Amino acid sequence: MTSRSEVTPWWRNRRYLPWLVQGAVALVIGVVVAFLLTNLLLNLTARGLLLSWSWLGQPAGFDLAETILPFDASLPYWRAMLAGLVNTLRVVIAGLVGATVLGTLIGTASFSSNGLLRRLARVYVEVIRNIPLLLQLIFWYFVVFLALPNGRDALQLPGLVLAKSGLFLGSPELVDGVWQAPLRFTVEFGALLTGLVVYTAAFIAEVVRGGIASVPKGQWEAASSLGFPPLLTLRRIVLPQALRVIVPGLNSQYISLAKNSSLAVACGFTDLYSVSETTLNQTGRAIEVMLILLGSYLVIDLVISALMNGLNGLVQLRER
Amino acid sequence: MISSPSLMIEARGVEKWYPNGFHALRGVDLCVHQGEVVVIMGPSGSGKSTFLRTFNAMEDFQKGSIVVDGIEISDDLRRIDAIRREVGMVFQQFNLFPHLTVLDNLTLAPVKVRKRPKAEVERQALELLERVGIAEQAHKFPGQLSGGQQQRVAIARSLCMEPRIMLFDEPTSALDPEMVQEVLAVMQELARDGMTMVVVSHEVRFARKVASRVVLMADGEVVEVAPPQQFFTNPRHERSKQFLSQIS
Amino acid sequence: MATTPPLVVRASPLRRLQKELFGSRLDGLISIALLAALLAAGLGFFRWALFQAQWAVLSANSTLFAVGRYPVEQQWRLWLLTTLLALATGFSWGLLRAFPGSGAGRALWPRNDRWAAAILVVLALWRPMALQLTIAIQVRWWGIAGLLLLARWAAGRYGPAIPQACRRLIPLLWPLLYLVGMVLISGGLGLVQVPPSEWGGLLLTVLMATFAILLCFPLGVLLALGRRSELPLLRWGSVIYIEFIRGAPLITLLFLGQNILGFLLPGGLSPDRVWRAAWVLTFFAAAYVAEAVRSGLVAVPAGQLEAARSLGLPVPLALVHVVLPQALRVALPATVGQFITLLQDTTLLSLIGLLDLLGTARTVMANPMFLGKNAEVYLVLAILFWSCCAALGLGSRALETRLNPHSPSAPQA
Repeated sequence: MTSRSEVTPWWRNRRYLPWLVQGAVALVIGVVVAFLLTNLLLNLTARGLLLSWSWLGQPAGFDLAETILPFDASLPYWRAMLAGLVNTLRVVIAGLVGATVLGTLIGTASFSSNGLLRRLARVYVEVIRNIPLLLQLIFWYFVVFLALPNGRDALQLPGLVLAKSGLFLGSPELVDGVWQAPLRFTVEFGALLTGLVVYTAAFIAEVVRGGIASVPKGQWEAASSLGFPPLLTLRRIVLPQALRVIVPGLNSQYISLAKNSSLAVACGFTDLYSVSETTLNQTGRAIEVMLILLGSYLVIDLVISALMNGLNGLVQLRER
Repeated sequence: MISSPSLMIEARGVEKWYPNGFHALRGVDLCVHQGEVVVIMGPSGSGKSTFLRTFNAMEDFQKGSIVVDGIEISDDLRRIDAIRREVGMVFQQFNLFPHLTVLDNLTLAPVKVRKRPKAEVERQALELLERVGIAEQAHKFPGQLSGGQQQRVAIARSLCMEPRIMLFDEPTSALDPEMVQEVLAVMQELARDGMTMVVVSHEVRFARKVASRVVLMADGEVVEVAPPQQFFTNPRHERSKQFLSQIS
Repeated sequence: MATTPPLVVRASPLRRLQKELFGSRLDGLISIALLAALLAAGLGFFRWALFQAQWAVLSANSTLFAVGRYPVEQQWRLWLLTTLLALATGFSWGLLRAFPGSGAGRALWPRNDRWAAAILVVLALWRPMALQLTIAIQVRWWGIAGLLLLARWAAGRYGPAIPQACRRLIPLLWPLLYLVGMVLISGGLGLVQVPPSEWGGLLLTVLMATFAILLCFPLGVLLALGRRSELPLLRWGSVIYIEFIRGAPLITLLFLGQNILGFLLPGGLSPDRVWRAAWVLTFFAAAYVAEAVRSGLVAVPAGQLEAARSLGLPVPLALVHVVLPQALRVALPATVGQFITLLQDTTLLSLIGLLDLLGTARTVMANPMFLGKNAEVYLVLAILFWSCCAALGLGSRALETRLNPHSPSAPQA
């Protein structure tokens, strides 16, 4: 006989249980957050550091080692942070371009007919990937760039001079023992850029390699049977198809590079993080600085993702 | 007094709507007695799989009642677990656990759910594998077996929980034709041994030979219920005739 | 007339080399240019390494690099720990070979193992000598290496003889060792307390990495499950956490941990900087591990959970025995990749003032006595990190092959 349906106790009822679980989790999180926030408010009040933004207008009191925007110690904090942000953007954009170029070269080199080139590409990726980025940055800065000779002994290449006082592009000329040129970069910028490009290129090479490998072999065979030379096949037939797989992979690598630029502090380059650190140490305004810092990186990430998603839309195959 | 065989499944007025508003089951009834083999047939989209899956609470329903082996299906998790222990299910896609050997596939549930000692369960599992004809594959992985072998393992896996009712959701639809017979043979033997079975299937010959009753469903409703001889030779409803002409 | 089938001639190695390097004129030029560059670089490097480099900086500071400013009279505890680790490693290694997974060969000393053992012996004999450590310490290293190989041999030989009941306890060995290690390092239970501020060098790096790796994994799995949950609160909570962490550079989060944590706790309570950083690393890595595990969860067909539920398995048991084992197998390469990244990320601790391996190196190089000797130190550090990460990568690939002797089944429709 059918059993009478009794009222199901709430802890066994499959309709209510999910809500109970969520309620419990929400309660726990709520309690923890409330606890932390209360302490935060108490501690901040005790030190007179309640949330405010007016301190951004006060003079910074420190100089920036390197900045495109004009800046000196009397200008307010917000201008310092803006200069830092601009520095970050400078190195990120240059880094993205350089890493993509280098990474693509190395990634395609893995498919070269030259055995030595293939192996060298493999070695490059395996070596660079397994050494921490910070270590590489410090190497580039302290061991390579700071060791550059200066003045007349500086490294002179056509159109480019590498000296301890900086990197000079354009038509560099020696004036009173000091180099001058229309386009000048500091060694800090150079070291950071080199480190980021070399490191990220290894990962981008893997993404490119995976993308090219994902194109069915039949495409290569069909192209060669039509008489295409290998390089043309790569450019016109394989790479466009490979891009479908490559572009999403590049997205995460680009975001990674943007975040890694924050290691600039190890190279003495005054990027956004470095300026924020100094600001925080001087003003003690931890919460506000953190919000600005995290917010900025979040925006940079979102912009990169948006651009890459747009690119992704262009690159996906239109299927029936 | 001859006591009628006990009622294993009693479904009355079952109605189900999907979240998007689609009325999948429109008031269906079904009674399945112990030892019966009920084959549910019908065009795709008729709701037959959905109906089958309400019997072990894999699909919920908004109206009506279903009583399985004396337990009424409700929102009570304990009851649902009790029902699922007594009702075995065999899926179209086998759903064997690929990371476990065949033997482990069988012993996992009895050991963890019924808390039986492992050695005893293993013995029973090997007997079951013998019964479905693949005892020598006990230590292989599902990926190494053919489709027909995998489905037989799936049947043995459900049997290892000693269910009182077995549900089959299009068990042979995903098999290559030459493997369909070996699985149907196992199901036939199961029926001969007195298992209560509800089978959703297109296999007409199997239904003719083994079914106690055939149920035709279309558009979420039960159209006709009849013994196979009557259903296949002399169906009463227009819809049944239409369906039979499509499948023969 | 019968035609003879064409003979397949195996090209000699020299011919193959020629074909690979000088297949076409362009290839030939590239090869020559590359070989010349490699030769020049190689000669320059060896000249520097043998004549100009001063390796004294390493031997003079070897203890600092190894354990930081750990009090000398308590260092015996670290030796004990290293010995225990060596024994455990050898033991596990041997057992792994004694009980091969299905599909693997039954060789007790396969070729890879013989290579590994040989490298171990060479390292143990040469490195302490190269670092000009005292004889007493050199002997200790020989002893430790010897014990490792002894444990390996014993486990391989006598492993199968261990009764089944004891065998189930073996996986507990490593968590137990971890706890014992923590006590040995930090103190308690009758041992003198050594505060975290005195931990440094390789000790600190390894400790931070293992702590974060061990804890971020279960946390990551929970987050991945939450992300796939149907309950809106759990799902959105997980998404917000993961996306927030993934959008922030690690250094900013470490910085946040150091500065804001003091504000978040009741006045005065301020955990040691080392632990703050450790927890930040953990929470950071958990978000990335969650993404890796999530890709594994997505790869498990929905039918698996259905089948498990239809057998009467409650959801937690179904997850543990059916879904997660499959998901983790798929997610293994990505997850280990995250662990490798985590190990590399410990170097960022040097930027917040902690004396991990890199931080110790920088303080050593700031010492006027060793000014300008940067390259030697960085080279050694690079080799050290590279070997650990490469080893982890190899281990992951070996584990993958072992866990997937047969590809997952698919309906043979």
